[in-house]
Amino acid sequence: MTTMAEPIDERAATGARPLRVLYVAHNHPTLHPGGAEAYALELYEAMREMPGVEPTLLARIGTNVARRRSGRPGTPFSSVNGDPNQCFVFTETDHFDFFTLTSRDKSLYTEHLANFLLAHRPDVVHLQHTHFIGLDLLGLVKRVLPEAAIVYTLHEFLPICHRDGQMVRTFDASLCEEASPRRCHECFPEISEQLFFLRQRFVQAQFENVDRFLAPSAQLMDKYVRWGIEPQRIEVEEYGRLEPAARAPDPPGGKPTNIGFFGQLSHFKGGDLMLEAMSLLGERAGAHLWLHGANLELQPQEFQDKLAARHEALRDRVTFRGPYRHGELPKLMADLHWVVVPSVWWENSPLVIQEAFFHRRPVICSDVGGMAEKVAHGVDGIHFRAGDAHSLARAFEAATTSPKLWGSLRQGIREPYAMDTHTERLLDLYGELVDARKGALTHA
Amino acid sequence: MPEATTTPSSRSRPRMTRAAVRRAAALAPGVAIVIRGAQRGRRPTAQAVEVARVRDGVGAGKSVELLLASGRRARVPREQWQEVQGDLEAFVREELAPLDAAAREAVLETLAAATGLDEEASLELSASIQAIREVLRERLPRCAVDEAQPAGLSVEQVLAVDDSSVWVDGWMHDEDGRGAVTLVSPESARLAVTAVAHRYERPDVVQFYAGLGVERTRDHGFTAHLTLPGPSLLSNGWIAELETADGTQLETPCPAVVRDPAAVRATILGQLGAAGPVGGPLAERHGRPALTRLQERIVAEAEIESVDDYGEQPRNPAVSIVVPLYKRLDFLEHQLLHFSRDPGFAELELVFVLDSTEQAGELAAQARGLFALHGLPFRVVNLASGAGFAGANLRGIEASRASRLLLLNSDVIPSRPGWVGEMSEFYDATQDIGALGPKLLYEDDSLQHAGLYFHRPAGSEVWHNGHCFKGLHRTLPAANLVRPVPAVTAACMMVDRDLYEEAGGLPLHYTQGDYEDSELCLRIGELGRRNWYLPSVELYHLEGQSYLPGVRRVPSEYNRWLHSQLWGERIEELMSGFDPHDPAASPHRPTTERGKSS
Repeated sequence: MTTMAEPIDERAATGARPLRVLYVAHNHPTLHPGGAEAYALELYEAMREMPGVEPTLLARIGTNVARRRSGRPGTPFSSVNGDPNQCFVFTETDHFDFFTLTSRDKSLYTEHLANFLLAHRPDVVHLQHTHFIGLDLLGLVKRVLPEAAIVYTLHEFLPICHRDGQMVRTFDASLCEEASPRRCHECFPEISEQLFFLRQRFVQAQFENVDRFLAPSAQLMDKYVRWGIEPQRIEVEEYGRLEPAARAPDPPGGKPTNIGFFGQLSHFKGGDLMLEAMSLLGERAGAHLWLHGANLELQPQEFQDKLAARHEALRDRVTFRGPYRHGELPKLMADLHWVVVPSVWWENSPLVIQEAFFHRRPVICSDVGGMAEKVAHGVDGIHFRAGDAHSLARAFEAATTSPKLWGSLRQGIREPYAMDTHTERLLDLYGELVDARKGALTHA
Repeated sequence: MPEATTTPSSRSRPRMTRAAVRRAAALAPGVAIVIRGAQRGRRPTAQAVEVARVRDGVGAGKSVELLLASGRRARVPREQWQEVQGDLEAFVREELAPLDAAAREAVLETLAAATGLDEEASLELSASIQAIREVLRERLPRCAVDEAQPAGLSVEQVLAVDDSSVWVDGWMHDEDGRGAVTLVSPESARLAVTAVAHRYERPDVVQFYAGLGVERTRDHGFTAHLTLPGPSLLSNGWIAELETADGTQLETPCPAVVRDPAAVRATILGQLGAAGPVGGPLAERHGRPALTRLQERIVAEAEIESVDDYGEQPRNPAVSIVVPLYKRLDFLEHQLLHFSRDPGFAELELVFVLDSTEQAGELAAQARGLFALHGLPFRVVNLASGAGFAGANLRGIEASRASRLLLLNSDVIPSRPGWVGEMSEFYDATQDIGALGPKLLYEDDSLQHAGLYFHRPAGSEVWHNGHCFKGLHRTLPAANLVRPVPAVTAACMMVDRDLYEEAGGLPLHYTQGDYEDSELCLRIGELGRRNWYLPSVELYHLEGQSYLPGVRRVPSEYNRWLHSQLWGERIEELMSGFDPHDPAASPHRPTTERGKSS
């Protein structure tokens, strides 16, 4: 026996049983729009096209995202849009412990998910997210299917940071470089250091079941390594993207004055920061900001009021265009010269940057985290000082007044990481991990 | 008149006597009041009135056996017994009520001692005796507290420490401070209070009687722990009597007895801590005996109600790990997750004892789910009532089987697998080892436990427990040497069961979890063993998470005081040779060296 992975293609050719990969996501993009959800579905669909691979997508459904009020009697599982390889798992939002990140109702694992695992017997369980499903799934997979390899893609800092996984301090909104029980207690004085320690040890113990972590950005990986994941168990793997069906046409000539924003209009995404920068900029550059995004109505009322008040004075220069569908992007991008990503938290690897690059729009972004990593200042975009409206105003001014700059940054844009390359890399990794697990079990 | 038949006496049995019974009435099932003697119609003497346990159906069912409180035993033919036995009310009215005051008092004294006669001290017996007391007792003028009347009496609290002792608190005022207070239980026991009580100043009473002029004493308050001749089960009906030096006699009713052990303990501790640090005659003469009995009562009442096994328990466990759970059930999920990831736990017995009994249902639901999830077998011991830290450990140990014990707190989380085995190996390899404690850390890797020692802060009479190197970093070289130490914490303590039992286990007399471990270690030291600190095993101890801050001041003070009372001399000797800051130092051993440790 060779220790090398049997090439995946040969499995198909020789009639060997296909590699079964189970993807687990905390939401289904048809229920709740979101980057990680959209990526999970795209990855599943891409893998479905690969010979020798049999992917399954298990997506969580619950009362907070769907109109369905409860699971069916006796089972949390149900079908998705007639696809035999997609499955919803219903979990009660109330059963989820948002602090230790697992379900209080252990029968979810021992009665239902265990049966699901035994029914599907995946070779690889690739977790996109465990929110609402819970970290106990990790130990369960190892107990029920000891030979299965576990891959875990980290989409934000939820396992590290109780503040919605943002790593932004609660008391002064400053960016947090490092989580520790003491520092977390500073952010949440009502929660003791000891409880944060228990949380950390709990998550780390569950994470010991994971064979490989994937971080879509290096800055995210670094923070997890500092927190306690051994460097050999984590690697950077960017989100692979499917090429869009159509590319946006070139924008109108003249000054590159049109800037677009795509995403949730929230404080963390820099919603208020952009408007503040637009007021500081005034009319002198002729810049126009187009806001595409949903969920403003879900933001705190105070934030909505603040945004509305700012917008009142900017009606001729800032336009709300409301929610959009992914397929509309080429059309929406057509009018735009720039895409702005002004988040005041680290971000991971914002999908909107990849979208902008697909449509060859340079990006104006905060100079921190995943944004600074994915956009090179002066090459394919412009950095401004994160959270600083003056700095953003200056970036807007520089961007919108110089067609030459726009042209040169546009030249600097590279094609985003392709889904094909991504799936190949993942299949190599799956093969390597499956063999390693087999080896470990034989030697044990 | 029927004559009781007697059977030969023997040494092993109560003395049998020719006791004739001429009248009897049931006080409770199996207990009767009887008048000895043959002649009916004559007024009995007080001595002839006795209480007896009645055993029906002896002698092939033809006789009734009486076990008299005086120790005599008599057998009465059944038909004769039926003839003499009758209604209690008539018995009291016709036989006892006509007696003179002294004789009635003597009868009441007899009855007071009889409450324990039925082994399962019953409320019915107490109620019958109280009913008799109400007919027979001499009533005194009712005390009316009045600032113009010098004689005043008030009992503010009667606490049941256990069935046959009470804690009483109140005040008494008279002309010269020499009056005597007597407490009368519902079961007619008379307890002298002022002769034994701790007296203290009651500024409110002094103020109330200020109009009467200069006082002989300001110490009107009295507090006492009083022991009864038999169990008292009734909560209502206590009476206090005052007899002043000039012969004035008064009585006043007492409030209902407080029985809840937690409330009793809190009140007693509150009084012990009311006048500065715990100590002095109140603590010595009243506090310590009362709290010791109360603790014994609490543990005795906290019987094992059920043992729930989750999964198949190991057949021959090498070590039994005993973990008391108190309130914070969330720790269970964390411990089980970490333990289940440690292959060493396959050979261990894991016993959780629920000390906060109101959570039994919640724990059972959680335990079922966590066992199903992790598959690690464990046992849950449910108690009838809260036992306290030492008591919960006691019950857990009773429900465990291994010859080696590991006492563990629920807020201790291992840093890595294999630690129990490593402790056990060290235990096996070390001669004359007593208790073994590992290094315990706070969540920031600073030291929580690296061995315990004793110190007496400047100006303090009592010994405090000190933690070696507490708060310093886990890598501190001095905290990383294996060495014998005066004591180790029970938060994580390994000790062989035989030795543990020989040393008497964790003592039960401390209140609310404190100082049990150091006393156990001192006792282990008395047996010629040494307690060791093992720094290579590290666990995290999230100390004090089970308690609310602030509520422990007086209990801690009391425990520290008691610990010093019991062990002060031994500690002094032990610490003469131990420098907590010098890692080369070992505690002094007064007993003969029995061999060097390996």
